[in-house]
Amino acid sequence: MPIKTWELDPNFKNEIMGEAGGERLASCFQCSTCTLGCPITEIVPSYNPRKIIQMSLLGMRKEVLSNPDLWVCLICQTCTARCPQDVRIADVLSAIRRIAEREEEAGNLKIDSHRPLFDKAFQHQLEKYGRLYDIGLAKEYYPKKEGSFIKGMKAMMKDYKDFGMRMFKKGKMGPKAMLAPKVKGRAVIKKIFKEMGEE
Amino acid sequence: MSINKLAYYPGCPSDGTAVDQDMSTKAVFEKLGVELVEVEDWNCCGAAEVEDPRVVYALNARNLAIAEKEDLDIVTPCSICYYNLERSNKALKADEALCTKLKGIDSSLDYGGKIKTKHVLDVFVNDIGMDEISSKLEKKVNVKVAPYYGCYIGRPPETAFDDPDNPVLMDKLIELIGGEIVPNFNYMKTVCCGGPLMMTRGDIAFDMARKILDVAKNAGADCISLACPLCGMMLDGKQADIEKALGITIGMPVVYITQLLGLALGIEPNKLGLNKNAVDTKEILGKVV
Ligand code: SF4
Ligand code: SF4
Repeated sequence: MPIKTWELDPNFKNEIMGEAGGERLASCFQCSTCTLGCPITEIVPSYNPRKIIQMSLLGMRKEVLSNPDLWVCLICQTCTARCPQDVRIADVLSAIRRIAEREEEAGNLKIDSHRPLFDKAFQHQLEKYGRLYDIGLAKEYYPKKEGSFIKGMKAMMKDYKDFGMRMFKKGKMGPKAMLAPKVKGRAVIKKIFKEMGEE
Repeated sequence: MSINKLAYYPGCPSDGTAVDQDMSTKAVFEKLGVELVEVEDWNCCGAAEVEDPRVVYALNARNLAIAEKEDLDIVTPCSICYYNLERSNKALKADEALCTKLKGIDSSLDYGGKIKTKHVLDVFVNDIGMDEISSKLEKKVNVKVAPYYGCYIGRPPETAFDDPDNPVLMDKLIELIGGEIVPNFNYMKTVCCGGPLMMTRGDIAFDMARKILDVAKNAGADCISLACPLCGMMLDGKQADIEKALGITIGMPVVYITQLLGLALGIEPNKLGLNKNAVDTKEILGKVV
């Protein structure tokens, strides 16, 4: 598909470079080392971090922010470790994901992945308890992902029936893991998300 | 040995899916004569799910400040916790404006940049040292091991403490305790286990974990050794789910390096949580002489 130059957003690169972790975007010289070492490319054929960087530099804002491949990055840092230009691709992709999440919250975009829901549900556990509470996380994530409480509980059972039983039998789902943790300083954690976060 | 006391940051899975790692870490340090003092009222490091680095720094400023009050360096058995603690520690030491801002949010975030943050592997090999560990060994752990390192031990560069492509710290410990490193596993040592995508793209995560398990099996390993609870969840906890979903049999025991080390130090298997690993570890126990 030809690029329509009049639809490009020349400010997009600055927008990314203004995010924490996105600062080094413009140093990319398109060598493809990141893509060649990325383990996701073996599983998802369309996956190409070099291309996401290129499209970002060109200003293809809409295409980049709505690209579902943004959400299958493992943050494994292989690309970052190998990049000759120190672009910090894993951090740049994270910066782009955060812009996409804000755009979705503003109603400008629909993200084709459950990952933002999962990350939010995870963060809510930290705000509430100060630590991760697995059960609380599953109870929030599954209904949201499936669109209803009943469907959510069914999907959760399907994913966790065997695993939960296995962990229980091995004494890894005892009372300590079933009860919500309560960090005494959890009010501070809530404050951190409010003052430092983007929500 | 230069250390006798450290602050211990267990990480969120330590009460649940990685209780075996937590138990074995504590037992090994005790045997090595290093006292662990749990970071009091510690909070989550942010894991991989808090993507905004400034929030990660703030979360860990609280953890660091608590340990700093005790005047202790932090050690953690989790690679992701290590990565978050260490990058926060670096950022906070370098950025005064950030520290001032955090202090303004809450006095408990007032960190003076005086302590170090370390992964258990780093402490074992580089701080306690091979000679000291060697002097305390009681048994030979005669197993063939596929040492799996995962992501945050050799990368990203600014927090790494081992080689990015061929890390060796775990290999050294395994050889020290009488184990053998299987050939043909090296290229898998640092390929991600898929854990971060488990809940949102389970299909990709299973594929990633399966590759590691397959390569270890084909290399003739008796077990895989690990240094991260998320890797443990994927490779051990979910192994039966992977077998079922992909219609394959693997049956590969997966243990934490602290469990192997504990066996060599003569610690009782149940005290190392070796009855809690999802894939049975009895065959390994039979090879401890
Ligand atoms: S490795 Fe670095 S310089 Fe090369 S294409 Fe990727 S981001 Fe650009
Ligand atoms: S961090 Fe993401 S883009 Fe980089 S190598 Fe890992 S999966 Fe690929």
